[in-house]
This record gives sequence, C-alpha cells and structure tokens, in this order.
Amino acid sequence: MARAPKRPNRFLTVGSILSLVWLGGIALLAFIPNDWLPFMREADQRVRIGRNYAYGPGVDFWMGSDRLGRDVFARNIYGGRISLSVAMFSIAVGLTLGGILGLMAGYIKGKVDTVINVLLDVLLSFPALILAILVVGRLDVLEINRFWSVMMVLSLLSIAPIARIVRAQTLSLSERDFVLAARSLGASKWRILAKEILPNLVPAMTTVAFTGVAVLMVAEGGLAFLGYSVESPTSSWGKLISENRERIDTAWWATIFPSLMLFATVLAFNIIGDRFARRFDIREAAL
Amino acid sequence: MRYALTRIARFVFVFVIVTFLVMLATRIGSKDPIRDLAGGQVSPEVMAKVEADYPYIEKCEGALAYLPCMGKQYAAWTFDMVRGEMGYSYAQEQTVGEMFKQRGPATFWVGFWAIIIGLLIAIPVGVYSAYKRDSLFDRFMSFGSFATLSTPQLVVAVFLLYAVASRFDFFPNLWNYVAPWSSPVDHFKNFFLPSLTLGIGLGAVWSRLLRADMIMTLQSDFINLARAKGVSPNRVLWVHALRSSVLSLITSVALQLSGLVSGAVVAEQFFGVGGVGGRLVIAVQQNDILIIQAITAVVVAVVVIVNVGVDLLYAVVDPRIRQARALG
Repeated sequence: MARAPKRPNRFLTVGSILSLVWLGGIALLAFIPNDWLPFMREADQRVRIGRNYAYGPGVDFWMGSDRLGRDVFARNIYGGRISLSVAMFSIAVGLTLGGILGLMAGYIKGKVDTVINVLLDVLLSFPALILAILVVGRLDVLEINRFWSVMMVLSLLSIAPIARIVRAQTLSLSERDFVLAARSLGASKWRILAKEILPNLVPAMTTVAFTGVAVLMVAEGGLAFLGYSVESPTSSWGKLISENRERIDTAWWATIFPSLMLFATVLAFNIIGDRFARRFDIREAAL
Repeated sequence: MRYALTRIARFVFVFVIVTFLVMLATRIGSKDPIRDLAGGQVSPEVMAKVEADYPYIEKCEGALAYLPCMGKQYAAWTFDMVRGEMGYSYAQEQTVGEMFKQRGPATFWVGFWAIIIGLLIAIPVGVYSAYKRDSLFDRFMSFGSFATLSTPQLVVAVFLLYAVASRFDFFPNLWNYVAPWSSPVDHFKNFFLPSLTLGIGLGAVWSRLLRADMIMTLQSDFINLARAKGVSPNRVLWVHALRSSVLSLITSVALQLSGLVSGAVVAEQFFGVGGVGGRLVIAVQQNDILIIQAITAVVVAVVVIVNVGVDLLYAVVDPRIRQARALG
C-alpha cells in the first residue's frame, strides 16, 4: 500500500484553532465580571414573562427561557464558569499530587513503588462515578459546600491515572543515557529529579492537563445529573441538563444548548490535548 | 502459576482495602449508624429490632479504639457476606439479596447490550479502516470516532432522548424490567436507548484500538505468508488478522468495564431503567449503610475479577507474554 506523504506535524490546524477560539470565548464570557457584560442577564434573574419556557431562542432570550423565567444563555455562561473552574482546579491538584506520587514511585522504586501502586490500584478499582457519589454524599454530612466537595472528589479521581502516567514516564526516563550521564558527573538525586526528569515530563503533563480537564468536565456532568454537584440556584452544564430534561419535547432549548456547550468544550479540550500529544509524540498519555 | 497467585493475592488485598474504606465512609460523620440503617426517624421499637438484628454495628469513638472497633465490624460484615447474608435495608424494606434479584438483571442487560453494540460498531469499522488505511473512509471514521469519544454520555443520552424517544412512542419509560425471553420486543424497547448511549462511546474507543492493532498485524510476516499462499483477502482480513488482534480488544473490554459501570449509572437514571445504580444513588442519600456496602462490594468485585481474569487469560493464551513476565 502506498502511503501518503506525511503531513508536517503542525500544532495549529483548523481544528485546534477553532478549539482555541471556542475555549477563549467561553472563558472570556465566563470569567469576566457580570457588570462588564451589559447584554447578559444575571444567572438567577427571573423574568416574569419568560416563565414556563415561554420564550424560545430569539432576540429577547438568546437561548430561550426556563421554567422560572431565567435566561438559558446567562445560565449556560455562568454554568460554564462552574464547570470550567471545577475541572481546571481539580486537574491542577491532580497534577501536583499525582505527579509527586508518580515521581516517587517511578524514581525511588522498591517498597515505595509497591505501596503507591497498591494505593493507586485501590483508587482505580472504584468505578469513578460511584467513588464520586460516595465521597460527595459523605462530605454533605460534614456540611461542606458542594462546590468544594465536587472539587475535592474530582481531584481525588484525577490523582491515580495521572500518577500512573508519571510513573511510567519517570521509569523510562530514568534509564535514559542523559540521566546516566548526569549521575556519572556526580549529580545528586534531587538535582537529577529537578533538572533532568521533571523538565522532560512537561510535554506529557501538558497533554494530560487538557485531556484530563475534558474527562473531569464529563465526570462533573454525570455527578450534576445525579444531583451530586453544586446546589441550586448555582448551575453547571450537567445540572442544566438534568433540570430541564423532563420538558425536552416542548422546550428543547433548555436542554440542548447546555448539551452542546458541554460537548463543544469537551471536544475542544480533547482536540488541543490530541494536538499536543502528536506534537510531542506521546502515546501513553490517555487518561 | 506463581505469577497468577501473586496477582490474585494482590487483588484480594486491594478488594479488602476498598470495601473497608467504603465501610469507613458510611460511618464517618454519621451520628448514629444504627439510626441510619433503620432509615432515619423511626420508633424506639424499630430501633431496638435493628439493634438486635445487627448487634455488631455501633458508633466507634476514641482515637485509639477507632480502627480496632471498625475492624471488628468489618470482620462481622465480611462473615455475613460470606454466608450469603448481604443484609437488610430497613428503609426499603427488602433484603439486599432481593434488591439484587430485582434490579441486577436490568443493570446487567444495559451493560451487556452496550458491549455488544460497541463490538458491532468497532469490529467492522476498525477492521475496514485498518485495511483501507488513510482512505477517505478511514479519515472520516477516525474523525468520527474522535468526536464520539469526546461526547459525554450525558450528551449522547440527551440527543437520543430528543431525536428518538420524544418523537416516537416506541420507547416509553418502563420502570419494570422485561426479560429478553419473556418478550423480546418489550425488552428491546426497554434497553435499546440506554445501551446505545453507552455502546456508541465503547464502539469509538474500540474501533480506534482495533484499527491501530490491525495495522500492526497486517504488516506482520504471517499475513504476507497467507496472502502469498493465495488465501482470499477477505479471509486474511477477517480470520487471520482479526484473530490475532482480538486479544487486545478483549483486554480493552475488561479495562473499560469500570467506566461502563459509571456510565451505566447515568444511563439507567436517564432512561428510567430501574437498575442497581439508581438504588445506590438513593442509598447514598439516605446513608443506607448495608446497601452501599453490598453494592460497592459487588461492583468492585466484578471489576477486579474480570480484570484479573483477562490478565491471566492473556498470559495463558499468548505464550510470549507469559515468557516476558517470567523473565521480568
């Protein structure tokens, strides 16, 4: 079979540019203070005439109105704020803790490796959503704000897969020639870790950060659907879906728009992650 | 053999830790586990009965006494589980065993059909994409599967609900479970949408995996040999090549199982299939401790057993791996 000539491995393709634009737009709308956006209503501002899904998508309500007369567009944007910030915060915690665990397991090896591996096995043997509802359910009893408990649980979920990847990478990196060279020059363990191994983990971690945010946003959606994410009136995309799903046959906008937002954002994160993975030629970085 | 035993021992160890942690979780922050088990506000007589039924459940206090006290409860619970008495849910007024009998089949069928749908999508797409590598079909499918992978199950469910369920009366929300042998049509109505929700995503994962694996296989010598011998291209593709790629597919089926369980919880709730997942969600809200412990134990056991099973099967089927591991 004749192979087509390999296309140059550029980072910027149509897909990744569109993804960046989409993410940038969503992030801008979501994180800019409300006062700067005169065209947008408040997330829980109830407009009397919009009650009971009175308005479909149009000039008055860009994405229609919901049961209480709230603007679906505004709720989508503020919901995106929650979905995005929860996922990004959690992946940051996951990268830090998972990275430390993975480095320790992969670099110190021996008993430390065994203990960490058992710990990761424990975390991975739970189906993610079941672990999540258990933990959120428990944190409710301790009267912790749902926003924080969702972040905690998503961070917890992201630790094990990240640690696995970091461990595998560290193992293979620590046997490479440049590490041997550094060691034979008398570099200390810490120096090798900080100056040789850590910088070489950055590409894989960048990829993981993007695909991981995508995975966590999906997980948050599932949690929200089951009623285990942020409390009303705060919204997130998953929560909007579950709130309005009953009325999908008459008021499709209130469910379809948040679904599209969630889909487009997850896809965008995945595309960027995938571009990074190809750019750096990483294969084992899928969560 | 030694390899098998260490694997099994390790997974038993993990299983014990997991179930113990779940038990800890049901007790943390609980003012009175017995009251939780009894189902909240109940009369003193009921409380006395619950206490008599489950004498081992108690609130553990004190920093030093906490773990031994929990250990004792864990041992008692394990003993009950081994005897086949998974406990009683006072809130739902049924034993955990009855609950599984009532709701287990629904969850099983959702997962089972999801896997079947996934394979039905993945095998033709994966094999053909690998065969016609870089063709228009391959490019299209590769983008399609990437987009599908990035579609949250919740979103798939919304679209199916909007495009199919709300237009046609063919898929009603049936809470009562229908076995395939009692009425295939009703069974199909019951399980098609939730299974499709999960199956599409699985199909995407597996078709990518199968494509990559088949491309490797198609380049190997035995395929060239078969071709040179004049075996028909179809036979080479679907019999010779597919057979050697099926192993990695099986592994992936096992690896996806944990994700499948998560997805099943959402899909069940979304389409109103009365499965185990729905009960777990309610049980967590009520802190119905024996239900939580039993369901998580069963789920984790299934996931772990399948994974160990595939791992061992792999070593048995493919001598290369057995040898590599013996050396390692």
